[in-house]
Amino acid sequence: MVLTTVVGHYPRIGDSHEEQKLRRTIARLDKGEVTEADLKEVEREVIRDVLREQTQSGIDVVTDGQITWYDSQSHIVRGFRGVQVDGLVRYFDTNTYYRQPVVKAAVEWNGPILADEWRFAQDNSSVPVKAVVTGPATLAALAKDEHYGTRRALAAAFAEALVPEVEALARRGAAQIQIDEPILARDPAELETVRETLGPLAAAKGRAELTLFTYFGDVAKIYPAVLALPADVIGLDLVEGAKTWDRIAKEGSDKPLVLGLVDARNTRSEDPSALAAQIRKLRGRVDLEHSYVSPSNGLEFLPRAKAREKLAILAKTAKLVEGGS
Amino acid sequence: MSALLTSSVGSFPKPDYLLKARAKTSRGDLDAEGLRGFEEKATLDWLAFQETIGIDVPVDGEQYRGDMATYFAENVEGTVISGLVRSYGNRYYKKPIIVGELRRRGKISVDWFRFAQSGTAKPVKGMLTGPYTMMDWSFDEHYGSREEVALAFAKLLHDEARDLEAAGAKIIQVDEPALATRDDELPLIVKAVGRVTKGLEAKTILHTCYGNYDRIFGYFNRLPVDQLLLEMSNSGLDLLERFRREPLQKELSCGVIDVHSHVVETEGVVRDRIEKALGVFHPQKLWISPDCGLKTRSVEEAQGKLRAMVAGTQAVKRDHGIL
Repeated sequence: MVLTTVVGHYPRIGDSHEEQKLRRTIARLDKGEVTEADLKEVEREVIRDVLREQTQSGIDVVTDGQITWYDSQSHIVRGFRGVQVDGLVRYFDTNTYYRQPVVKAAVEWNGPILADEWRFAQDNSSVPVKAVVTGPATLAALAKDEHYGTRRALAAAFAEALVPEVEALARRGAAQIQIDEPILARDPAELETVRETLGPLAAAKGRAELTLFTYFGDVAKIYPAVLALPADVIGLDLVEGAKTWDRIAKEGSDKPLVLGLVDARNTRSEDPSALAAQIRKLRGRVDLEHSYVSPSNGLEFLPRAKAREKLAILAKTAKLVEGGS
Repeated sequence: MSALLTSSVGSFPKPDYLLKARAKTSRGDLDAEGLRGFEEKATLDWLAFQETIGIDVPVDGEQYRGDMATYFAENVEGTVISGLVRSYGNRYYKKPIIVGELRRRGKISVDWFRFAQSGTAKPVKGMLTGPYTMMDWSFDEHYGSREEVALAFAKLLHDEARDLEAAGAKIIQVDEPALATRDDELPLIVKAVGRVTKGLEAKTILHTCYGNYDRIFGYFNRLPVDQLLLEMSNSGLDLLERFRREPLQKELSCGVIDVHSHVVETEGVVRDRIEKALGVFHPQKLWISPDCGLKTRSVEEAQGKLRAMVAGTQAVKRDHGIL
């Protein structure tokens, strides 16, 4: 009746000795005790672990947990010419930080950034792996521009550079590609920029299903316009963005939705029965058969054990929706 | 006190012998009393180092703290400590979970302040993790209101600040790295920090770092403290130009050391950064510090950076005839 998915990142370490192998290896790399190749091997082990955790929890469409990403911004722009990666800056209102991209010259794609990582994850997963790409509007909003002069021009340049990336993902076989635009939930004025920059990416996706996901807030005031954006599926944070719920309940959606109902930023456990009852209220207004229930955003803001609990809550919720009357 | 005083933000890296002792304690092979001996030795070693290189206002180096938020939460009723959560890069912390009313069990950091102060004639800073950061860096399963959590922390941190003063602290620093988290909560930060510092006779300092300073700049002069200690070098000293146009009505402790780089700054780099700051601030209103705590660096890197910071400051003082 409803599918389950995740949004993007996943805790890369846990509390057990085994679950801390990535942290130990990075520390040893810093001391010169292991090589980059050793680190890559451990990263791949951890990717297999997080794929298994998601699958065993019953998640229908998973991600690689973004285990190799330093952060959501610098991981992408390191694959572009014209951009340098600079000092640490807080990532929205989270207690996490990203290395700020500084745009020094015309932005150009320098070769596949995510395609190999996605292929490895899909080869090691029994269920579909979604490719996740940071969207051009968010990249532009969080970068420091020393070249283009306007944020909109920078976003357009990032979009142009991401087109071959989306093409590469589609060519390698990614059936689901998600563009993350958290900036849209924080600043509805970004709607036009998102529309302009999503268009070229939608045109490049081939047969892949394209999801636009926005989180860290609501899109209640621009809900119809968000639904009209050129994406096949719309993902919404319905925890921090709880205000959007009323509009979904009232107006429905002509596109499948990803319902981000499980709080990915608080340890408090949701009641799957209550969530299932909430979702069932959308029957007749939303195509639940092709929609998903998910966390409100990536799960890396939680400890690993809590992230596993949240996955279990998602799976239980989906079962209850299916079984409910 | 003279101009261009040197100090540090708070944390220093833990030496290998302390890391090994902490690992033993985690495995149950060393009791708390045994660990305390190693923590005291590390604290004294760092105080001796700061004395040797001539830092004016030493810190205890937080050798007894795992993480700045976790340490206070562990000593407060109403919290439990969760598993590890990533902050950035390879840095993780055990994020507190608030599960009940927040109350101080007793004095938290006073005993360590006394220990450190007894090891030096110079004024050691009393160090508090601020109420807003404690709130923002905790999961709240109890209050359901960010303001209520921040003010509950403010109340108990004010009591702690009073106790630090009573123990002889002449300088109390409130660390608010979360300051720039949400524009709409800046008034709450002013209110919560104000409740911590209200009525204190000690010099008060607020430290923050790694935020979008443009957005919070208008609040700098409203923060109820005597001095701001700001990360400046990580962001290329961009903030100085803004201070030139819109003067800070408080002292500035200027971060001249990038704590997230393995590269040890040269004395020349430090001199340049201080000279730039002196183009905007009167030397008596300017302290010199690293950008942030140095605990993420190796002991050797941290010591090299602190040596360069002091040497650069002393060179500038000589050039300007500052005693």
